Amino acid sequence: MNDLVDRIHRFRQSDRWIFSYMLFSSLLSLVASFVLSVDAIALAQNADAALGCNINEVISCGKVGVTWQANLLGFPNAFLGLIAEPVVITIAVASLGKVKFPRWFMFAAQIVYTIGLVFAYWLFYQSMFHINALCPWCLLVTLSTTLVFTSLTHVNIRDNNLYLSPRLHSGLQAALRMGVDALVITLWLAFLVAAVVLKYGSALWGG
Amino acid sequence: MSSKKNQPNPNPPGTRREQLQQQREQQAKERRVRNIITFSILGVALLAIVGVIVAVVVSSRTLPEASGGGAATGDYTIAVGQGDAPVTLSIFQDYMCPYCGDFERTNRDDLEAMVEDGTAKIEFHLMNFLDGGGRTYSTRAANAVVAVAKAEPEHVMAFNAALYDSQPEEAGMGLSDAEIAELARGAGVSNDVIATFAQMQHQDWVNRSNTAAYEAGVRSTPTVKINGTIWPGDGQTSAMFTPGALKAAVAEAGK
Repeated sequence: MNDLVDRIHRFRQSDRWIFSYMLFSSLLSLVASFVLSVDAIALAQNADAALGCNINEVISCGKVGVTWQANLLGFPNAFLGLIAEPVVITIAVASLGKVKFPRWFMFAAQIVYTIGLVFAYWLFYQSMFHINALCPWCLLVTLSTTLVFTSLTHVNIRDNNLYLSPRLHSGLQAALRMGVDALVITLWLAFLVAAVVLKYGSALWGG
Repeated sequence: MSSKKNQPNPNPPGTRREQLQQQREQQAKERRVRNIITFSILGVALLAIVGVIVAVVVSSRTLPEASGGGAATGDYTIAVGQGDAPVTLSIFQDYMCPYCGDFERTNRDDLEAMVEDGTAKIEFHLMNFLDGGGRTYSTRAANAVVAVAKAEPEHVMAFNAALYDSQPEEAGMGLSDAEIAELARGAGVSNDVIATFAQMQHQDWVNRSNTAAYEAGVRSTPTVKINGTIWPGDGQTSAMFTPGALKAAVAEAGK
């Protein structure tokens, strides 16, 4: 039993596991972004859709163009996923092929992806509390972005790419060895699931 | 680094063994914590799965509760007109939505006439998805309409029209509670009912009405259904804003 747990935890620290997990999550995220982008384009082309107020990833009534949420960047938010996820996919595939990226590169990737994560959660918050509508593909973006972020953070802590102080780094490494990250992720995902279920309840299963 | 070599060994052999011993203890400690964490993860995941299953079972058992009384029914409908009218006109609307205002103002006289002579009954479905960013107008306006529908359903049409006549800027914060109350007074609603608006008793009802509409596939407002079929068809939305088009379609459906 202890031996099995040992092996699982050692595998969890391996390149093969981390980058496969990163590849899988970034592919999920890319698919969701792609579907949302296609939706956004179809909506923009549909003259009918421009004659009403649409429930969408962000709200828009044709009359004032688009809301400030959408105007923040000036294009459908899902396009960001189309731009960012292929980079992560490349990192994951190359790393599975034993390519070693420079420290500054991984550090930069971490920063950019963290910004993306914040944006994804901001949208999640908007759709939970302001739009009051459930968008399955948006939920998938939130989930997969979270998973990609955790895999990227995991590898960057393991390889000390984040320019942390030696004490903090060894502390975090011990935490990784003990699986604290997996516990945090599990708790966080359970919290998200609980929030969605409590908020939408019967609506999820057409009750 | 190299300078260290010249210094006397800071770890005499005895303490070296102690160090190894310490290291091993440290590892054993880590392993204990790790095992606790591993089982906690399994526990949390199991709880989450059980929780979701329980939620599914419970929610599939609790059928939509009928929130009784008045003309606001359990399926989140504000019904206006004679129950036996041959045509049912469903209107999904958000009081902040400028196109809902355009639709209502374009067809107001026809709607009133059709309800009056019994050609059609109207079922309003109130939505509040345009609220957000601190804006609560859609919910406040809808809450007031539900209150009127429950207590004095005869004033719903007039109040609905008044709300669209004074429709606020889409991007703004909307009308104040006092302004909504004033419109209700103008539509003939009694002061007793108006006094209940501020309590927001129907806020949940409105939220659920919004969710129910979304569940029913409504993705934009206004959405109009004639006897359950979306009107007008794809690519013909402008008919909503063409005087007489709705009336003709209802007449056709009533044949």
